[in-house]
Amino acid sequence: MQSEQSNVQVMGIDAGGTMTDTFFVRADGRFVVGKAQSNPEDESLAIYHSSVDALAHWQREVDDVFPELVTCVYSGTAMLNRILMRKGLAVGLICNKGFEQIHSMGRALQSYLGYALEDRIHLNTHRYDEPLVPVARTRGVTERTDVQGRVVIPLREEDVRQAVRELVEAGSQAIVICLLQSHKNAASELRARDLAREELARLQVDIPVFASVDYYPSRKESHRMNTTILEAYGAEPSRQTLKKVSDRFKKHGARFDLRVMATHGGTISWKAKELARTIVSGPIGGVIGSKLLGEYLGDENIACSDIGGTSFDVALITKGSFAIRSDPDMARLVLSLPLVAMDSVGAGAGSFVRLDPYSKSIKLGPDSAGYRVGTCWPESGLDTVSVSDCHVVLGYLNPDNFLGGAIKLDVQRAREHIKAQIADPLGLSVEDAAAGVIELLDLTLSEYLRANISAKGYNPAEFTCFSYGGAGPVHTYGYTEGVGFKDVVVPAWAAGFSAFGCACADFEYRYDKSVDLGLAQFASDELKAAACATLQQAWQELAVKVIDEFVINGFQPQDVLLIPGYKMQYMGQLNDLEIVSPVSSAATAQDWDRIVASFETTYGRVYASSARSPELGFSITGAILRGMVVTQKPVLPEDPDAGPTPPPQAYLGTRPFYRHKQWREAALWKMEALKAGNHITGPAIIESDATTFVVPDGFETTIDKHRLFHLKQVK
Amino acid sequence: MSYTNEQVAHLVEGTLDWETTFRMLSMPKDNSRFAQYLAALQAKVGFPDRIVLPLGPHLYIVQSARDKKWLIQCDCGHAFCGYKDNWKLHAAIYVRDTEAAMTEVYPALMAPDTRWQVYREYYCPSCGTMHDVEAPTPWYPVIHDFEPDIDTFYKEWVNLPLPERLD
Repeated sequence: MQSEQSNVQVMGIDAGGTMTDTFFVRADGRFVVGKAQSNPEDESLAIYHSSVDALAHWQREVDDVFPELVTCVYSGTAMLNRILMRKGLAVGLICNKGFEQIHSMGRALQSYLGYALEDRIHLNTHRYDEPLVPVARTRGVTERTDVQGRVVIPLREEDVRQAVRELVEAGSQAIVICLLQSHKNAASELRARDLAREELARLQVDIPVFASVDYYPSRKESHRMNTTILEAYGAEPSRQTLKKVSDRFKKHGARFDLRVMATHGGTISWKAKELARTIVSGPIGGVIGSKLLGEYLGDENIACSDIGGTSFDVALITKGSFAIRSDPDMARLVLSLPLVAMDSVGAGAGSFVRLDPYSKSIKLGPDSAGYRVGTCWPESGLDTVSVSDCHVVLGYLNPDNFLGGAIKLDVQRAREHIKAQIADPLGLSVEDAAAGVIELLDLTLSEYLRANISAKGYNPAEFTCFSYGGAGPVHTYGYTEGVGFKDVVVPAWAAGFSAFGCACADFEYRYDKSVDLGLAQFASDELKAAACATLQQAWQELAVKVIDEFVINGFQPQDVLLIPGYKMQYMGQLNDLEIVSPVSSAATAQDWDRIVASFETTYGRVYASSARSPELGFSITGAILRGMVVTQKPVLPEDPDAGPTPPPQAYLGTRPFYRHKQWREAALWKMEALKAGNHITGPAIIESDATTFVVPDGFETTIDKHRLFHLKQVK
Repeated sequence: MSYTNEQVAHLVEGTLDWETTFRMLSMPKDNSRFAQYLAALQAKVGFPDRIVLPLGPHLYIVQSARDKKWLIQCDCGHAFCGYKDNWKLHAAIYVRDTEAAMTEVYPALMAPDTRWQVYREYYCPSCGTMHDVEAPTPWYPVIHDFEPDIDTFYKEWVNLPLPERLD
């Protein structure tokens, strides 16, 4: 370890279901990763233990490091679990009369969301989850606004008062109001909200009221209703969890304000009004981290690949920006939240391996051993072979140094299970059966990766592939081989990469609003100016919300950098594109022309120039406003070049390694001891406590000054 | 993949947790399931005869404890007939063939015209359990809906020894 003079500045937290990772970065770019068992009862305690574990590498104490920290970002699954376990508040729902069953019925696709393809087409498995709000706590009120936003039947005010009384009587701890078409015309819903508050005040009941337009004024009723309910149901309990975490930090001398990773790829304060968007955050961290690394390396096209125990997640960064999906699904609910676009396939390093009893073909997953690793860990209680078992048998993983030696793996036990379940029925040797499993997984992943890039019209040769996640570096060579990437990069901190990525994210709020603007290709200047006025109006509404959020955290409005954007499509087409606005405010026909030009350029890049169809005219479907303030981000290490030869103390010996039908001796290296500039030719295995980087024969790798490994095929 | 007898018993009762049910639905069938399923059913019924094959929620082909003959039998122990016969011909039958009888089970104008379609309900003559309902045209013969090849099923599908049979 180097001198301890450098301050610790940045902390990232990834509180997963089984492990809580922490990631600390010093001002000189040095970092440590800490791990501790998660504690669902008190997350703050697991974070504390994980921090102690991390800082021990630097022989430092939590109490003297926390006061030094300038920024800390949390991401976790607590909110998601609260929804999945249905452990939120008792919410009461007010909707249009006659629509009381809408939330319970949900959308048909909610009955199979999250399923593997085999189960999606297997109707018997489809099932509706228990609704977040039961029909017994739902009340309809007479009101109707049509699709154009005209009030057809005015709100019957006494209905609202009556509904509030009944919902309070039924034990509601929060009230959600979501009326049809309120994103078009908010008047009735806002009136209902005010009436509800008046009635609650009269009853002297202090519970919050959530109107959907105040939170998610977007089209699609199911999405809007689900999201607003999610906010009422899960956000307040989550805020309590985060407050606990923040309080524990303060107790240990922390002066920073805790931030939380949000679905749109920015971080928000735990005090933010909208917390529903923190429901999924872990995997997003990796994408944000990749973007930052890409900026360091000068790569603007990046394929981010994250392989964990159960799934393989892919996201693309093109021209330096990631795509946003505006109506994603999470926890088996359709939602209207901006989410960093990612695609997932249910095959990972812990996937179970079975033979199909009828076709005798090898099948991976869809379930996985998760933290129980596989049959190679006797204490796991498992008797089904997992991918990890195959790795252990073939020498990829060190049985005595799994998770830094925290658990010992039994190679013989894994061999016996593979022999009985896979090798013997197929008439293969244990090695060839295990190698077949690895090949199948690698092929599945590389096909998925390739398809994800080429299906979007890109060429892999223009992309750098980043590979991370605890199990990523074991598979990197396998799933990138033959795809033809420009470069393949494995960060030395692959296992803590999501936590690192969270720490890289901007302090950024994002608000969205649906708008409906349609203009012909050669519209008059008056019409163009009118369209600009509508868009500007939407941006102004959103700006109030964004600035309000920052004011909660003590920022002045002038500290906030506002970045307007919009969603646009050719009129009549179905998919819109999200564009960062070329104009900071829209007023004139010239502004409109620039808005259109910017869309057309993006369209040409995403699809093809020849596919542009300006003759259809243009629609703007949504207004977006992002606001951010400056924060401290991690800096990458800058190590001096130590030449291509690794230092002798990094060499750990050799281990037999099986690939392409033969055993070879692979050189073992200690990852932490390798220096910038070192060059290693396969077969080699580079080990650290949290991850294993496999460089088989036919591959070579060089570590650069930022401690990034570049993997290449030897020509 | 295999399950405990307790899990299979819960499956029969409809009280198995969703995660396990989902796994059962989406994975290839576990080898020992049929034997476990029979054991769970056997534990529920009050008669001493051995269940060979379930035919419905309350109806079984059993091996008679007295003389090893195979019979079709109700939950309550009432034997309808030999296992190759159409048990419906030995059941108590109620035919809904009037508008009045139809409106007992469906709202007016939402039931079939009984000149075209009737409901035939088959009951156990001893305990009154409804075992089946047919919806044929009025003149149609009683349907013999299931003639299982039990020998092949035991030998080639579930790999179990065939229970003894005296015909």
